[in-house]
Amino acid sequence: MGVIQRVVKPRNSRSKRALEKREPKNIENTKQCLFFVGKKASEEMRRCLRDLYSLRKHHSLHLSRKHPDMAPCVDILPVERLGQKHDASLFCYVARTKKHQNNMVIGRMFNHHLLDLIEVDVSDFRSLAKFNNPKGAEGTKPCLTFAGPGWEDDAALRTLKSLLLDLFRGVEATAVRLQGFELALQFVAVDSKTVLMRGYSIHLKKSGLRTPRIELDLIGPCMTLHLQRSRLASDDLMKRACRQPKQVKANRVKNISKDVFGSRLGRIHMTSQDLGGLQTRKLKGLKKVEGGDGADGGGGGGGGEEEQMELE
Amino acid sequence: MADTDSSQRVQEILTQATEELKSIKVPNDDQLEYDLGNLLVSNNNTLDETLTRDPEKIDSYLHNLARDSIQALLNRVWELPSERIDSDIYATLPKPTTRLPREKPVPKPRPPTKWEKYAREKGINNRKKDKKVWDDVLKRWVPRFGYRKIAAEKEKNWVKEVPSNADPFEDQFAKAAEMKKENVAKNEFQRLRNIAKNKKIKVPSVGVTGNEYASKNELSMAMHHAKHATASRGKFQPELPNEKKVKGLGKKRKIEFTTGSGQVEKKRNIEVLEKMDKPSLNLDGAIHKEIRDENVAMDLKRKGGKVYGRRSKMGGRHRTKSDHKSLKLGTGFQGKGKGKGKGKGKPKGKPNVGAKKKIGGPKMQGKGRPAGKGKMKGKGKGK
Repeated sequence: MGVIQRVVKPRNSRSKRALEKREPKNIENTKQCLFFVGKKASEEMRRCLRDLYSLRKHHSLHLSRKHPDMAPCVDILPVERLGQKHDASLFCYVARTKKHQNNMVIGRMFNHHLLDLIEVDVSDFRSLAKFNNPKGAEGTKPCLTFAGPGWEDDAALRTLKSLLLDLFRGVEATAVRLQGFELALQFVAVDSKTVLMRGYSIHLKKSGLRTPRIELDLIGPCMTLHLQRSRLASDDLMKRACRQPKQVKANRVKNISKDVFGSRLGRIHMTSQDLGGLQTRKLKGLKKVEGGDGADGGGGGGGGEEEQMELE
Repeated sequence: MADTDSSQRVQEILTQATEELKSIKVPNDDQLEYDLGNLLVSNNNTLDETLTRDPEKIDSYLHNLARDSIQALLNRVWELPSERIDSDIYATLPKPTTRLPREKPVPKPRPPTKWEKYAREKGINNRKKDKKVWDDVLKRWVPRFGYRKIAAEKEKNWVKEVPSNADPFEDQFAKAAEMKKENVAKNEFQRLRNIAKNKKIKVPSVGVTGNEYASKNELSMAMHHAKHATASRGKFQPELPNEKKVKGLGKKRKIEFTTGSGQVEKKRNIEVLEKMDKPSLNLDGAIHKEIRDENVAMDLKRKGGKVYGRRSKMGGRHRTKSDHKSLKLGTGFQGKGKGKGKGKGKPKGKPNVGAKKKIGGPKMQGKGRPAGKGKMKGKGKGK
């Protein structure tokens, strides 16, 4: 008898709910992000991490302990285990290495295994605290803008765009309050290896029309990211990860349409019918004559027999 | 004049107002890509190199770029269908168009359990049950489950009939409770088996499954038992280099104090002594032995044989000169053979001593080795 996997049996409804939360679902929870520090990190980098954490306050965990043995680019297993423990699919790791003083790794996982990660070097960092303007509330859904042709052309930048989108978009919202736009994040790809990040607060001004005039105010955090190593997902892994369940896909209603007057019309598809075999009223005049003088074949098929039947 | 003044005033106010209201128009906004579900706008146009290289101008350039993009995005958002809830206007966002990878794989539908398959076959449907059930005996509504149900059952079943084929001294209530426990355990087992089947974990149908999270002690105990379940009770089982012996196996021994009163120890020793099979003090035997020794010594003094003392060579019996002679001749000893009878023969010659000896005689044993008879008196040879 080999080792049998233990079946975890929840003892009360609270633990049952916690287990159910971690199960794969059709409509998923918002991804949790782990923000943690590696062996050593400069004060600036730690502040940078805290700023990013505050941008994604509601679905992230800031681990206060240092993790000296972690090096995601080298060995991803401890990070995967951390992710499994906290049920987190995104992570942002900050460290100081000999080559790079301000190293940051952003990555995500699929089914608690690494999907992709990108290592960046952060420079010219300006913290949120540096800007004295009033900032919006934490947890608002930001407006994201990506500028530069590199976002489409370069493979690493494409992944980075996807990662940044995942990291900063917040909750997947169905409706948004029109007065509630407070935060805007801008990522500019200057070239294939450099990305500039800027954070603004949105002010809605009167414009005389229903749509307001937008004014932006720089609030930070501002930084320059230099791309270093990256581990991108293979094509089929990405394909598998992006697969959506059938229930989530929009139901296409077929063969029902509305005409100009608003009445609902349906469409029926029929098999080809042999109209020669239709039972119609027999009119003697329309009967098919053997000589070939046939006007309608209509009720004429087997006419003789039919006539007899009628008489009877 | 007043008219022109006022009209001028009006014009001024109007121009002021229009100046304040700035345009929401964004040039080239159809060149941008919008993902309204994610509130995302992408500008794929090439950036102005001169401005991006210049560290002084870059901030304002980026600011303008951002402002235009966000304005274009929010123009689109304001065009979306909106609804009004409690003085707030909410715009309904469409589904995001950018495909992002999921967190976990798509869940597979739970396969039906054995019961579900059977129920589907037979067309058995689940019927909704009420929370309370009318009880005719108690004449009130009793809950279907819970502590109130148990209390009601107790009320109803205060007496239990003993069936004719059962043991009259058996506790029927305990028996019923035992049966219920077994049923619950069986149900639980089947539920866990269903779960295991779902997760494709193999569970044996008979026997107890091992404890995966056994403690260190439990594991070492299991190992110890496995080792000792051999024909030589684990004596020749090879050991791993770092294997440690299990502590706490074997009889537990209480170590008493060496200081304090020795009463306990004394008491225990006396108990042991009482339990022992002590040989009773055989006074007669002691006397006869003493007499015999004296006789032998006297005998030898007169005849001139060597006194061997307590441990003699010839199996404890004294050998006189005549004995030695007969040995040499090969006729054997006098008085050889079965003890008692022959022993009598010895002391016949000396009447004054004989009386004593007679008493002593029958008690003599034959040779050094007792013929399988239990107690050995006198000299402690043989078993």
